[in-house]
Amino acid sequence: MTRKKILGSHVKRLLSGVSDHGRRHLNEVETDLVQTNLLLEEAIEKLTGSFMAIHQVVGERQDAINRLLAGEAPSSEESARLTGMSGEIGQHVNSAITSMQFQDMTSQLLDRTLRRVSGLREFLTTLSEHGADIAPDSHSEEIVERLGKVSMALAIQSLELRSMLRKSVEQRHLESGDVELF
Amino acid sequence: MAKTILAVDDSSSLRQMVAFSLKAAGYQVVEAVDGQDGLDKAKQQTVDLVLTDQNMPKMDGLSLIKALRGLPAYQKVPILMLTTESSDEMKSKGRAAGANGWLVKPFDPQRLIEVVKKVIG
Repeated sequence: MTRKKILGSHVKRLLSGVSDHGRRHLNEVETDLVQTNLLLEEAIEKLTGSFMAIHQVVGERQDAINRLLAGEAPSSEESARLTGMSGEIGQHVNSAITSMQFQDMTSQLLDRTLRRVSGLREFLTTLSEHGADIAPDSHSEEIVERLGKVSMALAIQSLELRSMLRKSVEQRHLESGDVELF
Repeated sequence: MAKTILAVDDSSSLRQMVAFSLKAAGYQVVEAVDGQDGLDKAKQQTVDLVLTDQNMPKMDGLSLIKALRGLPAYQKVPILMLTTESSDEMKSKGRAAGANGWLVKPFDPQRLIEVVKKVIG
């Protein structure tokens, strides 16, 4: 192979490596941000629903207490409704507790996103540092050697980042998860 | 006497919600911020059940379970994982490490209490 061809093949490998690495990480960042957004939207919707429902039951209970304090005798229907109110509030609180766990999941997703962005920045820094070492009047052998080194360094960084970032949150909804006893 | 549960999670909001749910059902709760803290607290006081997250700084849930199973006082104490991890691979690792059950987050408080009651009464 001629020197020109060897240089061309190294440049091609480097460019395609940079492109593949960058795209792969940005795709993951995009997926994690979309998932974060889905979880946040659902959490806000469910939490709003829970708080409104709790507010309504508490208001109804206060109205009933006010009537009792005013000397009204409660009907049997009202007595049953009052008895059931605590349970009803408890159900809404439980539902709110399930929804509030969005924070745990979204913080894991955002942490992963930040690590990817920072990994990508380190990747570009490596590229820039190796590029700065190439003198304008370098011989093609030197350039080939330098390109080989940068490709190798980038491949290692890419692998390290991938192994460090296993996805631990697959949830896309805030419904209670599976339970399995061994 | 109320049974004591060690709740290990690096998310403070999650710990608060677990503690709130368990205390409302009559259990005592000891909180730990990561696996290492969980191990230290487990050594200070033997608890009736350990509920642990998986992904935590310093020491993860699987390492905590292995460390606890190495202590004579914790060879029979039930340990449940409460984590976002839901893969069969991770569940198998948990089982092999000595976990007695796997609960995937988010948890429903009522369901959590049912499981805890089933395991320790």
